[in-house]
Amino acid sequence: MANDGEDKILEEVTGKAYEFGFTTDIDSDKAPAGLNEDIIRLISTKKNEPEWLLEWRLKAFDTWQAMVEPEWPHLQYEKPDFQAISYYSAPKQKKELASMDEVDPELRKTMEKLGISLEEQKRLSGVAVDFVMDSVSVATSFKDKLAELGIIFCSMSEAVQEHPELVKKYIGSVVPVRDNYYAALNSAVFTDGSFCYIPKGVKCPMELSTYFRINESGTGQFERTLVIADESSYVSYLEGCTAPQRDENQLHAAVVELVALDDAEIKYSTVQNWYPGDEEGKGGVYNFVTKRGICHTRSKISWTQVETGSAVTWKYPSCVLKGDDSVGEFYSVAVTNNMQQADTGTKMIHLGKRTRSTIISKGISAGKSQNSYRGLVQIMPNADRARNFSQCDSLLMTDRCGAHTFPYIETKNPTAQVEHEATTSKIGEDQIFYCLQRGIDEEQAISLIVNGYAKDVLNKLPMEFAVEAQKLLAISLEGSVG
Amino acid sequence: MSAANEKAHAFVAGLAASAGLAPLAEAGRQAMTDLPVPTRKSERWKYSPLTPMLVTPVRTAPAHEGWPKDVPTNPIPGLDAYRIVLLNGQVVAEACDLPVADGVVCIPLLQAMAEGRIGAGDEDWSAYHTREWVGAVHAAHAQDGLFLSLESGVVLDRPVLVHHHTTGENVASCPRHRLQVGANAEAEVVLWSSAPEGASGMVNAVLEGKVGAGARLGVDKVQHEHGAVFHLAHEHVTQDKDSTFRIHTVTVQGHWVRNELNALQHGSGSHTIMHGAYLPKGQEHVDNHTTMDHTVPHCTSSELYKGILYDRSTGVFNGKVFVREDAQLTNAYQQNANIVADAGASINAKPELEIYADDVKCSHGCTVGQFDEEALFYLKSRGIADRAARALMVQAFIGDVLEGFGQDEVAQEVEGLLADRHGWM
Repeated sequence: MANDGEDKILEEVTGKAYEFGFTTDIDSDKAPAGLNEDIIRLISTKKNEPEWLLEWRLKAFDTWQAMVEPEWPHLQYEKPDFQAISYYSAPKQKKELASMDEVDPELRKTMEKLGISLEEQKRLSGVAVDFVMDSVSVATSFKDKLAELGIIFCSMSEAVQEHPELVKKYIGSVVPVRDNYYAALNSAVFTDGSFCYIPKGVKCPMELSTYFRINESGTGQFERTLVIADESSYVSYLEGCTAPQRDENQLHAAVVELVALDDAEIKYSTVQNWYPGDEEGKGGVYNFVTKRGICHTRSKISWTQVETGSAVTWKYPSCVLKGDDSVGEFYSVAVTNNMQQADTGTKMIHLGKRTRSTIISKGISAGKSQNSYRGLVQIMPNADRARNFSQCDSLLMTDRCGAHTFPYIETKNPTAQVEHEATTSKIGEDQIFYCLQRGIDEEQAISLIVNGYAKDVLNKLPMEFAVEAQKLLAISLEGSVG
Repeated sequence: MSAANEKAHAFVAGLAASAGLAPLAEAGRQAMTDLPVPTRKSERWKYSPLTPMLVTPVRTAPAHEGWPKDVPTNPIPGLDAYRIVLLNGQVVAEACDLPVADGVVCIPLLQAMAEGRIGAGDEDWSAYHTREWVGAVHAAHAQDGLFLSLESGVVLDRPVLVHHHTTGENVASCPRHRLQVGANAEAEVVLWSSAPEGASGMVNAVLEGKVGAGARLGVDKVQHEHGAVFHLAHEHVTQDKDSTFRIHTVTVQGHWVRNELNALQHGSGSHTIMHGAYLPKGQEHVDNHTTMDHTVPHCTSSELYKGILYDRSTGVFNGKVFVREDAQLTNAYQQNANIVADAGASINAKPELEIYADDVKCSHGCTVGQFDEEALFYLKSRGIADRAARALMVQAFIGDVLEGFGQDEVAQEVEGLLADRHGWM
């Protein structure tokens, strides 16, 4: 049954993509499981990469081999077997669907619950977005329109071929190869991802979005995303994802690098809804992501995330506030249910003078899940009059879940102001009672309360995304009050 | 053996094995080889690596020749208290003044061991030596200290002052205290540590306490050490139902200080107060690690730590609040406020919450900032000089902590010492 549904989703997603002329006609072009230099050479050859990139990958592989998997997160999981993963696969070809009737009814139901219109549901089948299907970018659109403005928005593989000078200059500049275990792994084996460059003074007229999906069984995904906003430019970037049900754990170790040059602004929004495993915690995606942006003078990077999926999440979108007067923001809602575990937060590294950062983190734990906020605010000696405000709230839905806060505050400047506050409390029984009295059923009441609680973050999302995210919160918490 | 371990090995080579606490010492020796020596890479020690301490090996002081004449046995003028004094970890019997009363046993720890007041296998309550390398070092070389045991319902009429004085170069002291407060009994203890200019080495102290049902234990702890003493202190207190445990920790002066304070609530209805202040200057380092462990329902805790960091000093605050499964209706509050007064000073704060129960109220706050310029202007506009105005504001800032001391005399003495040190008027 599960496989059936999976295939249907596959069909649905890949079907439409075909018309954009994806060229492979092998059913699945997949490398054998295992990780060694040959596999890395294979990936590089398949992607027709220049010599410098291969060398970079090999160096990363060397670095990774000398590293050990970190133990410090507040997480318990079975360590992935890196030799059991296949590091390269191109997507399966599936026949095009004639109509929405052919789509898996379960999937349609979820889409309807999410409030996605029929047109949108069709669109979700892979049209106006840059789709990363397994490891190869399948379709890219809006390209012509963006090209007029000089905006480059393409897959990483394409960028390597067509804009090697930009890729070479910026790749690994924000998240260096030896940054951490999974970043090193990603640098060695990344297969694709998105690349975006906004030229000087250009305000990107539309929200750029990428839908990530994991489909091929036993394939880890290692995307590499690079967004560069040149001086005085602006871009809003959306990333969202879903994954079909499966039984073995899937590893997802992405790297996202943002570069905001002087006076630029990048807004990066994520809705993450990967398969979290079943009620006993079986299956589900491992999401070990390194996301970091670097802010030059007077620039701004804003991370907004709604995290509802994945069995294990390990993710700290960060800002390095290098330039004077730069601004970093982090808004997050993390929901964990059943046996999910999340260790997520942010890092704000203040280097420049008068740099400012804001952190709003809302955790919601239900079932037997464990939800941790871990954040670092670091004020370096030169960051005169730096300012940070952090607020981390946790909402507990049952008596068997956990909510944890691990903030790190390191201040080395006498003119800095740092504030951190955190609260933990239960969902208000009186509030639920109030709603019940007025004929609102329990699930709706919870959805109402949770959305109110998460409002500060949801407000920061682009409108369409916010609507979807609100519904997603409600679905994630269905039947969760104990 | 790694370079760090070799250094650590050389560091402790000159320490004498614990004489009176043999089983614990044996366990400590074993643990010293099993446990890792903390370095910058150890999460719990990343802000306070032991490397600077391990540079110069230390040794246990030879048997003392009496209390130094120029040091008052009671450093707190006006405090009327029982007294146990220790010199480099050894009790100086002739300088002590201990209570003799029904239901009260207040004697040196080694005497209590010798008299069989501490049962075999009951030498250790904290298991600190199984968790930390420094705990193992302490256990292997534990010396003397206070043994205080109050029977049910006994209220000690005066506080007990425990004065530990370090003197000499590269001296290692491992004082160890045990406080046992029976049901509905009450005790107040003042822990005072001092050292003259020129003293150096390590103080590695452990205090274990059990507070019985409905009992109260209050501790005023003051660190006032000149010289270059590395001070490691661990307090481990468990509480029975409806008990109260209060501790105020103030570091007036200390070259390098690490306080590790654990309170465990084992009985419902207990209340814990952990307050503290630190005002390091020069290149001093003060680290306060606290753990508040709520394991049962209906308990409360309040934690307040305030720090001002001058010159090139460093401060660390790590407050951990656990609310275990089933510890419903816990109300835990934690606040840490810091002022970085000079360029070059730094603070590393890590207020943590780990919560496994839902019907709880837990909050923590942490701030790093400066003196309010507007308040300063207000005072100055009323004719108070800049220096005096700043001193007033510091006193007000630290005042929240000082006013909660169990003994007013201790609070006054601390305030006086701080005023001298920081040039308040």
